Amino acid sequence: MREALAQHIDLFLIIIYLLAIFLFGVLFRQYIKNTEDYFLAGRALPWWVIGMSIIGTNIGAYDYVGAAGGAYRFGIAQANYEWLGAIPAMVVSALIIIPYYWKNKVYTVPEYLGRRYKEGVRVIEAVIYGVFLVMLLGIFFWASGIMLHTYIGWSIGFSIVITAVVVGFYTISGGLAAVAITDVVQLGIMFVGGFAVAGVGFVKAGGVLKFFQALKASHPQHLKVFLPLDNPAYPWLGMILGLGLVLSPAWWCANQSIIQRTLGAKTEWDARAGMLFAAFPKTLIPILVVLPGFFALMFAPAGAIKNPDQALPWVVKNFLPPGIGGLVFVAFIAALHSSVDSTLNSAATLWTKDIYQRYIKKNASDEHYLLVGRLLTFAFIVFGVLFAPFTEKFPGIYVAMQTLLSFFQGPTLATLLLGVLWWRATGWGGLIGLSSGVALAVALSLFKVNFLYVAWWSFVFSLLTNAIVSHLTPPEPPEKLRGLVYGYLERDREFARAVERRING
Amino acid sequence: MGELLKGLPLYWAKIIATLLYLLLALWVITRPSHFIFRGSRERKRWKDLRLWALVLIGIQIILYLIF
Repeated sequence: MREALAQHIDLFLIIIYLLAIFLFGVLFRQYIKNTEDYFLAGRALPWWVIGMSIIGTNIGAYDYVGAAGGAYRFGIAQANYEWLGAIPAMVVSALIIIPYYWKNKVYTVPEYLGRRYKEGVRVIEAVIYGVFLVMLLGIFFWASGIMLHTYIGWSIGFSIVITAVVVGFYTISGGLAAVAITDVVQLGIMFVGGFAVAGVGFVKAGGVLKFFQALKASHPQHLKVFLPLDNPAYPWLGMILGLGLVLSPAWWCANQSIIQRTLGAKTEWDARAGMLFAAFPKTLIPILVVLPGFFALMFAPAGAIKNPDQALPWVVKNFLPPGIGGLVFVAFIAALHSSVDSTLNSAATLWTKDIYQRYIKKNASDEHYLLVGRLLTFAFIVFGVLFAPFTEKFPGIYVAMQTLLSFFQGPTLATLLLGVLWWRATGWGGLIGLSSGVALAVALSLFKVNFLYVAWWSFVFSLLTNAIVSHLTPPEPPEKLRGLVYGYLERDREFARAVERRING
Repeated sequence: MGELLKGLPLYWAKIIATLLYLLLALWVITRPSHFIFRGSRERKRWKDLRLWALVLIGIQIILYLIF
């Protein structure tokens, strides 16, 4: 009886949620008139929508499961991915990088790099991230199918199609505006679900202090944020150098699906404030993803959890009362959808703006590119649905794709930072620095070097190569660098003379 | 170098992380006002992004000192 009631509540919550986000698509369709509306929400997003949408995009269902598993195994060191591995980079992104994207009115990160360096850099970046985002969709759809099958009992195929129809509908019809607003709602659901789990856990333990005292007594290492150098997953030096100084800035400064929200800001201040505002909920994410791992560690009977990734499903299935379990399940689905919609919209933007408009059909009408953007979004949904079952046959495919991404993160960051901060970096410096850094990252991975160190050394190598090649090649002309490089206006003599003339009347 | 670092007590990791946060805070404080408020119609106190960043960094330092 109790189980049947719980199932009905879960089903009711999920149907209400699916209907609500479907309506968003209908509501926002009327506002889409051109590509700027579709890809950048008409450059009208306020800071608080940008901030919440960034975090909704950032946290996916895989993060929930994987992070709870990481906390179950290694403890609060897992929170480094939300703290040291995010907050400093978000501050740097807001105060240095984002103003340059926003001022130049670009649609994509590769577009900025192409203007700053040369077309080759734009093509490499666009293809890498374009392919990565499209492949990621298949994995997201499969995860959605598995979740709905496990909790509601729908077949995996039907669950995937339902997800594709609902997310596809509001993404195609409402563009970035619909994606960003649904992200806000989805983030709210995620936090309500996360706080509900925390509340239930602490009540069961007899209070917050009692819980942490018991955890400290039984698992003292689990409350240490840094782990020794011989830890296989989270060595402290790798966390600071690889995660804190390379992977995290690369993610928060150069990832299209994150940056795209700030490009849709109504003012430069909103763009920067949006990124900083996102850092506040980001600080609280460990409550959502680390605490369930701790609850599983403290409350699960011995032998109940064989794989750390089962920590969160165990908590949802065995720990929560009816209704709360359904709420947390809806929070999972919301987390997954907020990642799928953003990935779809960003992939369509990259392929339309950086590849199609640049190399396949130049100078067509804006209506044409809007249609292409929508058709590409639809094509990626179809590809994602068809590709989804293959991810089951390759269970390591998600890990493989993350490893693949780590090949590019360090060199991309080096190219971006030198491009923004150093006027002397040249087109050839950027191109050779980027490609040689990727080559080194691949070589290091073949020698089984920890991916955190791969990111660090490929970043350093790419930075040095870019600097050396730039010194050996002629500087870029001032008219090319204007507005693209930090502090360049002070160096620009022509601009200084123009200002002087204006001051002197 | 790896052997040398292995000999360091774990609290050095906390010291390095805290120093990095303090350096970032120092950099944030030195950002000029005209840059911080660019794009905003009014210069209200709550719109000063340096304060937002400093609160975030302060929370981080506290968290890393606790854990």
